[in-house]
Amino acid sequence: MKRPVRLEPGQKLVLTANRLLDGRTVWWGADGTWDLHIGRAALLDANDAEAALSRAVEQAQHDGVVGVYDAAVKAVTPPEPVTVREKIRAYGPTVHPEFAVETEQ
Amino acid sequence: MSLPVGHYQYDRIDRDFLQARIAEFEGQVNRRLDGTLSEDEFKPLRLMNGLYLQLHAYMLRVAIPYGILDSRQLRKLGEIARRYDRDYGHFTTRQNIQFNWIRLEDTPAILRELAEVDMHAIQTSGNCIRNVTADEYAGAAADELVDPRVHAEILRQWSTLHPEFTFLPRKFKIAISGSPNDRVAARFHDIGILARPGEDGAPVFRIFVGGGLGRTPIIGEELFDSVREEHLLATLEAIVRVYNAHGRRDNIYKARIKILVQAIGVEAYREAVEAELAQMDLERYRLTPEAVAAIRSRFAVPLLEAPSDADAVLAEQRRADPIFDRWVRSNTHVHRDPGHIIATISLKPAGGIPGDATSAQIGRLADLADAYSFGEIRITHLQNVVLGHVRKDRLRDLWLGLAEVGLAEANIGLIGDIVACPGLDYCALANARSIPIAQKLGARFADTALQAEIGALRINISGCINACGHHHAGHIGLLGVDKRGEEFFQLTVGGRAENGAAIGMILGAALPEDETVDAIARLVDCYLGRREGGETFLDTLTRLGHEPFREAAYETV
Amino acid sequence: MKLFELGERTAQVHDVLVTVAELADRDDARAVLLESADDPALVKPYLNRLELVVLRFPIFRDGRGFTQARELREYLRFSGEIRAEGHILPDQAAFLRRCGVDSVVLPKNGNGDPALWEKQLRQFPVAYQRSVLPEWSVGPGLRVEEAS
Repeated sequence: MKRPVRLEPGQKLVLTANRLLDGRTVWWGADGTWDLHIGRAALLDANDAEAALSRAVEQAQHDGVVGVYDAAVKAVTPPEPVTVREKIRAYGPTVHPEFAVETEQ
Repeated sequence: MSLPVGHYQYDRIDRDFLQARIAEFEGQVNRRLDGTLSEDEFKPLRLMNGLYLQLHAYMLRVAIPYGILDSRQLRKLGEIARRYDRDYGHFTTRQNIQFNWIRLEDTPAILRELAEVDMHAIQTSGNCIRNVTADEYAGAAADELVDPRVHAEILRQWSTLHPEFTFLPRKFKIAISGSPNDRVAARFHDIGILARPGEDGAPVFRIFVGGGLGRTPIIGEELFDSVREEHLLATLEAIVRVYNAHGRRDNIYKARIKILVQAIGVEAYREAVEAELAQMDLERYRLTPEAVAAIRSRFAVPLLEAPSDADAVLAEQRRADPIFDRWVRSNTHVHRDPGHIIATISLKPAGGIPGDATSAQIGRLADLADAYSFGEIRITHLQNVVLGHVRKDRLRDLWLGLAEVGLAEANIGLIGDIVACPGLDYCALANARSIPIAQKLGARFADTALQAEIGALRINISGCINACGHHHAGHIGLLGVDKRGEEFFQLTVGGRAENGAAIGMILGAALPEDETVDAIARLVDCYLGRREGGETFLDTLTRLGHEPFREAAYETV
Repeated sequence: MKLFELGERTAQVHDVLVTVAELADRDDARAVLLESADDPALVKPYLNRLELVVLRFPIFRDGRGFTQARELREYLRFSGEIRAEGHILPDQAAFLRRCGVDSVVLPKNGNGDPALWEKQLRQFPVAYQRSVLPEWSVGPGLRVEEAS
């Protein structure tokens, strides 16, 4: 499902997936590990993202993740996803603030 | 152990089968973890056992065959919510329950716990014959001709791991009712079945085929008027066989049976089914009276006894308490026994999440079912709960018990009784969130007196074109769409799923999320201002046409 | 090519395997390959000489082969060998067998482990609907097991 990446100024790409064992949303960090917090995601340029993505897809079974893809974020701290869908994946369902990813342990 | 009221009682053979299914699934999970099964291979296999991967976690959809549970099963669902999920469950429009925060590695253990109470997640998803739905008032309603649940159970068994029909072009949904008043949306199903008494005592079945909502809403057409009981399974085999052989497999959006029926016409479909039947060994597929009787004997029938003044007691309590009276007016239905009444418990509190119930509420519902309705609970396709056999003189006690856990909302069939899919807060397919707009609408129309004044008006909300919230069938329907990352809602009016099924008509361009609630309020005001006599929203819409409503919705002040 | 037998019948290797279209011109052919879109009724004129019908699954999710097998057994009374090949999974072993398939060409990856296929064939003690196999009732109701 490769689509052309068109990033607006100030945007970067992050890699995301779900963990195979528990399904939780995870983000790919610069050290090659997957983390629940988008704040630890590596911010990538379009060119770097392509290589990182294909490597992450190859490694998915080994890393225990499913459905790896890239998503655009505003390059702020922590990065802020561009679409509603990725915001919800990053922070949790909007209808249950008590389940917000940043507040749970 | 005594038989449960309202559903089939498993025996050792059925329980061994469930254990075998769990062992099979556990093997599949292990092969996924060790890489023998790719995700592309595992996904259809896990879906066939009700396990989705959503935005935040796995979701497990547990089957509630024909919507009927006993209290021990409901209690178990509450325990699972507490132990393996986040203390709540979500009842769906297919009379099932889903848990939103499930771990793949816990799933075999959860399935074992479910099996302790004869429950499972078999065929709650996947391209197979799904959980069969039935009339939520089955066996209780005064207007019923045939209790459809014995045949719903027969269909559940027949479709379970069917060797030929487990890899169909697309999902396949069957609903069955035995009432002249369609409460199962029979004509919005792949197969809709209406049972009525036949001349020899056995029921006969009117069969609709090729209905559905989704991306291409179509009202099902009558395939056969009178199928005899002995030929019910043969007929269904033939219908599904034609679909399996000829349904499209090149495009999942055109793969449902409705597309095939539309492409060749219902006459050609009927001819194809009859050609199959002519070649089949009908004796082999015959549903014998003995088999029906054997399955029927595994259902308990409630012993309905009420004091002779039960009706008078209820009437007096209603006179004395207008708040109770309002709840009785909206949330009950006539029972076939004059001393009893059917109570619908709303899972639509104003501002709440439609269809959600906490573990505590689930546990309380089980207790109340034991105390007031033979331990039997029904889940409705409108995401509510029904206690089917409540003694009239004890109805108020039930209501008081419900109020203690926030379940006494008096809004069944009213504007607050909103049907909504989980939407983008959970679902990987959604384009927009469904729950927040449902909550805002619920809050806007929270006043129960206002709801009673508005009268019968159903709002259905879907977060994407797959239409799990049945927006096409809503008197007012909302479809969430994504416009450049923003949530918009397209409005339809005039849909209905009951008798005289109709698909809602689109009013105009989709509205931004923050303007949608106001637009619906203006639609309602338009109706209130222009209705005549005792007209419902649909009556006024039919009389005036869409134009005044379109103008009201898009009026900018 | 490794074959796995789902039942009693011994799988036979045929050197000549033709398509349905080729059957008319190949009097020597005893084995035919059906694609999932092919109508099994097309082989009807050749049933007397056919010993093997191979059903090719383009992907395991394409379930037309199950209906093809049943039509061959139930409508055409084909008594020769039916084989499934292509993308099939051991999870489908019992379904294939109950629809009339005798043998499979084992997948070349981990899903081709014969132990997985054996295990799946024995997974379920009963079924809830009739198949093409000889069966008898188990307990009251619809349940059957294979007659042995």
